[in-house]
Amino acid sequence: MKKIRIGMVCPYGWDTPGGVQTHIRDLADHLIEEGHYVSVLTPVSYDSAQSANYVVNAGKPISIPVNGSVAKILFGPVASSRAKQWIASEDFDLLHLHEPAIPSLSLLACSAAEGPLVGTFHVSTQKKKAIYAIGPILEPIVEKLTARIAVSELARSTLKDHFDTDAVVIPNGIDGQRYANAKISENYSGGHTVGFIGRFEESRKGLQVLIDSLAIVSRFIPDVTYLVAGPGESEDFLKRLNPQLRSRIKFLGLLTNEEKMSFLKTVQIYVAPNTGSESFGIILTEALSAGTAVVASDIPAFKAVLENGAAGDLFINGDSADLAKVLVALLRDDERRKKLAENGKLSAQKYDWQVVAEQIEHIYEMAIASGDKVRLSSENRFWSRR
Amino acid sequence: MSLETLLPILIVVLLGWYLSFLASRLDRLHHRVETSWATLDSFLQQRAALAQEIVLESNLDPATAYLISSSAVNARSAQLKERSAVESILSESLKLVQGSAVDNSLNLPSELLVELSDLTVKIKLAINIHLEAVNATRNVRSKLLIRLFRLAGKAPLPIRYEFEDDIL
Repeated sequence: MKKIRIGMVCPYGWDTPGGVQTHIRDLADHLIEEGHYVSVLTPVSYDSAQSANYVVNAGKPISIPVNGSVAKILFGPVASSRAKQWIASEDFDLLHLHEPAIPSLSLLACSAAEGPLVGTFHVSTQKKKAIYAIGPILEPIVEKLTARIAVSELARSTLKDHFDTDAVVIPNGIDGQRYANAKISENYSGGHTVGFIGRFEESRKGLQVLIDSLAIVSRFIPDVTYLVAGPGESEDFLKRLNPQLRSRIKFLGLLTNEEKMSFLKTVQIYVAPNTGSESFGIILTEALSAGTAVVASDIPAFKAVLENGAAGDLFINGDSADLAKVLVALLRDDERRKKLAENGKLSAQKYDWQVVAEQIEHIYEMAIASGDKVRLSSENRFWSRR
Repeated sequence: MSLETLLPILIVVLLGWYLSFLASRLDRLHHRVETSWATLDSFLQQRAALAQEIVLESNLDPATAYLISSSAVNARSAQLKERSAVESILSESLKLVQGSAVDNSLNLPSELLVELSDLTVKIKLAINIHLEAVNATRNVRSKLLIRLFRLAGKAPLPIRYEFEDDIL
């Protein structure tokens, strides 16, 4: 594909951690490696010199509570004029807007621009559907997108429900090699180990389900250890637990990126007991690429990633007894665990950035095939047409 | 001026603004349909050419060779309306070579087959994008105001490119 100038818009604060931001950063890095020019317009909370040189600051985001979680987004006349300036000055071949259907910087850019526009839809959770309720107002804007990408089948069906339009499904990418080559750390090994990562205080992450399974699992596998990583208070969980079992569970706190990779590589089984509303489950693909056997609840998103059980074991959502059964069987059978991990690693290859970025480039190619360039839509009013 | 005289003027101005908004929205959609069709069309043409090349360079039996090259010729010369039907036939017959790629005696040129499968992926995407544009356009064109004021002008109603998902 010929080298093009790509403008990307990130709706959320660049310096707050989140799946969308990570996705955009990785995608931008990849496209630059391929030789394209990339500029990312994004809100930034703390103007530091650390952010990459392709990042263009659009202003400070404000925190907006969206049913429980807080989104850091940015809009308003100042942001809108920044977006217009950016589009006018950069001479892009293509704009890639992330989450253009929520009131955000992406939406502003989408309404200001015309030409080859690609939109990626990340949201699929029940919660944020409220934000989609203004569908009819957004329709003429979303309609401008030349091509739509949804990160999962679920995100695609959300889009179908609210805008009556379809999208191509391209999953989130991960750097599979880095997980496969991660160091094995003795901090996370010893006996039989079961790992979990996440903001475990949120009940939808399902840590309680995992902990409830410990009583049964430890009866059959006495040397089992549950390793729980992630930010949060562990007191409440420990208090409720039988004191004899407390030594079998370790809270590791927040891990750095390196630590997380070796954690995923080292543990014997990674468990994702999430009880619902996941769009994709990037952590599963990360654990799979590390070559670790995965056990997950049978919610639709996880079933899709684990290919109905071919790439990892599933248990009945919320059922800790069923989880215990699956864990015991898998911890006892080294042979099968190895085989499962191998299958998983193979199936995770399609989430590798090499594959994913190529698919996205295909979409770009389609979008720019008309030969148009990105321009401000105001230039297209009949009184300013030349 | 009193409110009674101002109000009708205001309504007319607003309606005018809204109509011009709808017209430019529809214009944009028509543009999207045209460009996405042009993209799809060029990929389909490429595939037909590639199909003929594959027949020339490989050792196929006469029946298969005839089937593929005749459907390729049909696809290249078809009218717009019958286009999707003949392209589907070409897809079907190309499947014959894609399925038998393991058989070495046929002397199938592997680089052309790789090119074919790449092209198939792109065609799928192009169809998806084109259908999207067509559906959006047809939706907007069915709106009452647009029909009432004939905002679509003389632009023909875009036709759907019908295709079977499992054929491609």
